[in-house]
Formats: sequence, C-alpha cells, structure tokens
Amino acid sequence: MYLYDKVDQQIVDERVAQFADQTRRFLAGTLTDEEFRPLRLQNGLYIQRLAPMLRVAIPYGMLASHQLRTLSYIADRWDKGYGHFSTRQNIQFNWPKLEDVPDILAELAKVQMHCIQTSGNCIRNTTTDHFAGIAPDEIVNPLLWCELIRQWSTLHPEFAFLPRKFKIAVSGATHDRAAVGVHDIGLQASTQDGEIGFTVWVGGGLGRTPMVGKRIRAFLPWQDLLTYMQAILRVYNLHGRRDNKYKARIKILVKELTPEVFAQEVETEWQRIKDGPNKLTAEDVKRIESQFTWPEYDVGLADQDDPTDGIAQDNPAFASWIKRCVHPHRVPGYRAVTLSLKATGVPPGDITSAQMLAVADIADKYGFGEVRVSHEQNLILSDVPSRRLHELWQELKALNLASPNIGMLTNIIACPGGDFCALANAVSIPVARAIQERFDNLDYLYEIGELDLNISGCINACGHHHVGHIGILGVDKAGEEWYQVTIGGRQSGGADQAYDDKGVLRAGGASIGKIIGPSFARDEIPDVVEKLVQTYLTCRDSEAERFVDVVARLGLAPFKVGVYGESDRTHDKEATPA
Amino acid sequence: MTQATLEQSQAGVQHETAGPTHLLKAGAVIVDDWHEWVPSPQSSEENGNQHAASDHFPPDEPHWIVPLSFWLKNEATLRVRQHSVGIRVDPADDPFDLVTTAPDTLDPTGIALIAVAFPNFNDGRGYSHAYTLRAHLGWHGELRAVGDVLIDTMFYLARCGFDSYAVKPGHDPHAALDALNTFSQRYQRGYTEVATAPRR
Repeated sequence: MYLYDKVDQQIVDERVAQFADQTRRFLAGTLTDEEFRPLRLQNGLYIQRLAPMLRVAIPYGMLASHQLRTLSYIADRWDKGYGHFSTRQNIQFNWPKLEDVPDILAELAKVQMHCIQTSGNCIRNTTTDHFAGIAPDEIVNPLLWCELIRQWSTLHPEFAFLPRKFKIAVSGATHDRAAVGVHDIGLQASTQDGEIGFTVWVGGGLGRTPMVGKRIRAFLPWQDLLTYMQAILRVYNLHGRRDNKYKARIKILVKELTPEVFAQEVETEWQRIKDGPNKLTAEDVKRIESQFTWPEYDVGLADQDDPTDGIAQDNPAFASWIKRCVHPHRVPGYRAVTLSLKATGVPPGDITSAQMLAVADIADKYGFGEVRVSHEQNLILSDVPSRRLHELWQELKALNLASPNIGMLTNIIACPGGDFCALANAVSIPVARAIQERFDNLDYLYEIGELDLNISGCINACGHHHVGHIGILGVDKAGEEWYQVTIGGRQSGGADQAYDDKGVLRAGGASIGKIIGPSFARDEIPDVVEKLVQTYLTCRDSEAERFVDVVARLGLAPFKVGVYGESDRTHDKEATPA
Repeated sequence: MTQATLEQSQAGVQHETAGPTHLLKAGAVIVDDWHEWVPSPQSSEENGNQHAASDHFPPDEPHWIVPLSFWLKNEATLRVRQHSVGIRVDPADDPFDLVTTAPDTLDPTGIALIAVAFPNFNDGRGYSHAYTLRAHLGWHGELRAVGDVLIDTMFYLARCGFDSYAVKPGHDPHAALDALNTFSQRYQRGYTEVATAPRR
C-alpha cells in the first residue's frame, strides 16, 4: 500500500479547499455553470439522471481496509448505503448532494483518497493488473510505475485541458490483465539486454470508434517513461481535434496522421526533453518504493499443512469456488481470491456499505488489510494463506460474495446504464440480471467455459462491450431500447497468438467485437445469448477451444445462422454499425 | 483586454468599449490598458508593401498587441518601432514560427510581451505554447495569458511560465492573485516554481 507523505497529503487537502471554494462560488452565482462544469468533472462530479454522481479514484485499484471503511461510511452518510465499482478501478456514488461533495472530499482526504481527475478531459486514474505485485508471471511490479505516473499526471499544469479524456494502463506481467491495447496509452513491461522498460501502445480505446492501440515504441527504457509520455501528451494536446468531441480522442489523431507519422512527431518533441528534469533516476524509483508498505509474508507457510485440497475433494461447491475464484500467487503458500460482485440479481459491481465493512474485516483477518479492485468490477483479496481458504469461503458465502463465476458468462461487466446514467440509451442492469438468471445452472456455466460478456447502455462503452467475447450495446431507435450484439472481442493485448493448455495455437491480442446483425428487443437477449452459446458448443473442437477462439476460427457466419436462422434478416439494413 | 467590435476591426482601429479588464502582474492588480490590434483585411493583403504600410499599423504608441500572423508578415517594420508591440499567439498558432534566426531561439528585439490567447479555458493548447516559449524558444520576457483566464486556472498558468494575466471579467482579480497559491506543492519537474506570496 502506498502511504502519503506530507507533499501528497498537502496536495489532496489543498484540492479539497479549492473545490469547496469552487462549489461555494457556483452556488453563489459567481462561477457560471459553463465554467463550473469542467472544474467539477475534474473532481469526478457528474450531474446525472437522478442526482449527482461522484467518482472516487482508487489509484491502480489498491485499497486499504481502513479506506474501505471510509467508503462504507460515505455510502451510509451521504448516499443510499451502497457504491458501484466501475470498469476503471474507481468507485462511484450515485446519490450525493452537490453541497455535500466538499465534505465528502474532506472525509476521503483523511484516508489519503481523492476524486482528482476521475472525469473530464484530462489524464485519468491510471489502471493496472488487479494482481499487480502478486502475479507469478510478473516482469516488473506495476504498482511502482503506476504511482510514479499518478504523481506525474496529478494536477499536471500543461495537460489539464486536453481535447478529450486520456486513459493510461500499465501491465507488468507477461499476460496482460490491464487491457493495454484499448487505452490511450498502454504500457506493457518488457526487458531488453537485462534492462527493464516498456512497450508503448497508443491510440487504443472503445467508445464510438473502437480501436486497438498501435505500437509506437517496441522498447522504452524505464528512465524515459515520463519524458516520453510528456512528448505524447504534448503532441496530442496541440494537435488533437477540438472541433468535434467524437473525433477528439488520441486514437483519431494517430489514425489521421498514421502511427508512423505520429511516432515521428513524438520523437521530435521527445528529443528536446528526453534528458530534461523529468528523466527518471534510480533514486526516484527507490523513493516511491520506500513509500509503499509491502506485505511481510510468512516464508514458512508453504511447509505447513494445507487442508484445502482434501476439503475440496469432498465438497464440489467449494471446489468450484477454488477453481473459479482462487488464483496463483508469486509467494508459495499464498493465493489471491476474487470476491465476485456478480451475484445473480445484484447490479454488477455494486457493493453495500455492510459488505464493504465485512470485506474490510476479512482483508484484515485473512491478509494484510489490502484489497484490489478489478476492471471486471470485482474485489480481490491479494494475500490469502492457502490453508485458510475454506474458512474464508464460508465467510464469503454468508456475504453473497462467493459466486463461483469468475471468467464465466455470468461474471458480466456492465455500466450503470439507463437506470442511473443520463447518457444511456438503454438499461444494462436488468439485462445482466436476465442473462444471469438464464445461466444459473453452474454445471452448464462450466460446460460453456471461459466467456466474457460485457454490456454497455450506450456507445460511450463504459461496459466495454467491444472487448467482450459477447458484447451487448444499448441503442436508441425512435425512442425505444434496442440491443446490438457483437462477438469476438478480446480485452487482453500482448501476443497476437498463444498456445492453449492443449498446445493448440489460438488467436490472441486485443480485438474489437463484430456486430452479428440487426438489434434485438430487451426480452430477446437471453435467448440470443443462449443461441450463441449453443452454436459455440456445437462448433468447438474441444473444451480447450473457448467461445472467442471459435469466433476467431470460423468467423460470424455460424453464429448468425444460429441466432437468425437461415433467413436473410442478417442482410437487413440495420446491420450497419451504429 | 478589450475585445474589438467588428466595425473597429475592419477599420483597423480599436477603442476600449467595456469596463476595465484587470491585469495581474508582479503580484499586483492593475488596470489593463493594452489594446489588441486587429489588422484590416487590406493590410494583410498588402504585406510587404512598404509605402502603404503606415495606415495599417497600430500607432507607434505603447501597449499594442498584434496577432502572430501580422507580426510574421511585418516583422522588420515592427521590430524597429519606438514602442515595442506584444504578439498574440492563438491556440492554432505554432510558436516555432517566431524563430527566424538561430535554431530554436527567439530574437526578443522589439517584442514587448507575448500574449497567449485562451478563447475558452477548456482549450489547453495555450499551456503547451507557454511551455514551448519558455523551455524551447528561450523567451524570458513577459508572457501573458489573455482571454478566458479564470481564478481556477491561475495556478496551472503560472506553472507553465505565465507571469501576467488579463483576468476574465466577472472573476475577482484579487481572488485570482490569491489563486497563484492554490497549491503549495507540486509533482512535476521542469515547470515554473510558483513563488509563494502571502495570502490575503
């Protein structure tokens, strides 16, 4: 866990004072609505359909138990007793009052939290692998680099008013769990001649014009990380389009210039600053490292008796949970555990204040008081002794946090949708619920195997539908809710191809899903998903071939037939992308 | 900075029309008595015509600011005036155009100040222009933010190298001056360290 020093604390405290003054001036009428809007957005405050929405940053998804208790307190005192984890490792409160927000920010500042740059046209919260620091396949610990980027990007004087929002993701492991291919900048750790550095991807993103990022630098030495990003941001700040918000993301600039020309522009700017004051030194990294508390692992743990396997043999429900929700850890004897926030009937990513308190206690009891938030909208206990898994499972079951569906179809990513969000064309949460209810048979769910299903209530794609193996997008047609279905999306960047467990080469790398045909009414969606799944089960070459692999191998055709039949409904004019 | 009306623009003259804009400079609030020269279309076309030029130039008096494009077309004439002019850099301008001599160094002769325009405070290009002028082009003279200059952007502006500010009407200039101290700490290196002045 990163602990603030005086500088960090003072910046956050002064930001609270600044926002309190801005709110006061707005309410007094000396700051216009037009002026206040970008300022409040840069403090995570939206005006939503029913009430303001406040988005709290959880930098790189790391939370301490005492911070979770504060979030619980905020949910009870200023909200309706719950919060919503977003796909960007943040938490959102849907019911605060504008005039209370300065007090909420002050409460957050007491536990080293803030809402800085969680919205607006600026550099947003940097996201990473939810197993950062504990993954067995880690090349570098991304937490250090994320914190360096957090500091560098916080209140950056030159890049506070960019053409559009700007999202950075860092993957420190060989397997990308941070979706670096669909961020404005994606950084994938790598090594060259024993030196650590990053592969730099630029111009990925979802939203209206989904694109996979382009690799503009194969290897960037770590010392150059900030100066190189400074050059990217400067080129974007000066040349990104500002005449049309739908064409303002860096992906459009990269596309219009071509990645080669864009990279050359960055190179020209970078040559001017690369050896300047933002070049990183070993001391910089050491300073950041020293401000983290690192778990004091029990090195003898792996030698102690572990009853887990024995219990699992006699208890299929526990075994299912182990298989789906328990993950390897770089330290022998420890495991990472996902707490599924995807129980059937609960809006994906929602957590009650009581659950927050319980999870905080569990994090203290079974770990080092640390929790991670995943971009799949679940929580991770990062350091659980393997021998205590059964005990933990029993506690989690009582809290409805032990749904054994991680990686499965019912682990649905969904935005808040039309129930809350002013932008949405359609609801997301009831659609998620209907699908979860349809696939509530665990044996069937496991038969289907790994399948990411993502739902967005509008083209802004907060539910990352483009990178779902199955993606569902709410669209508005003549004032009615309709749903467009895509298949074949993938969120992980990295290798274009990889071998599966059986040694078969499968397609890999981030990919944008393709639309299967005309949209559907809401109540048709569970049937459509069912038909897609049936088509997959018929077509797969083995259990090792996942849904998304079949789409890569066979294309859309068999799925279109499976869903629409042999009729030519698929040639309907509605098949054109929205 | 007083905005020109359309008629005045076309005539190539400018008068103050509204209440005074406040200028923050060297820790003080003063009245902004600078004028923006809006060249008539004629003078742009007659670029290089030395005989016709005088009618289409601001009078050789203090406190005129000309657009970058006008400066570039009339640089030789403008540099030798008795009263130096300011140059306005708009968001779409490229400050590197100011470099005419040594590589990446700006000749300050005849330039009273450089005014970077923020037609809307949401347009952040002016911040990069300021950084470029200070860090890459060696401009050490006065760098002024003009246009949509809010209390709320003062700190960022100062960090990017501005040292004078024509505050947007409606924003309390004294509060704007205080806002230079909004943050007493910063993370980024290579940007101006804002001198901490005592709060009011």
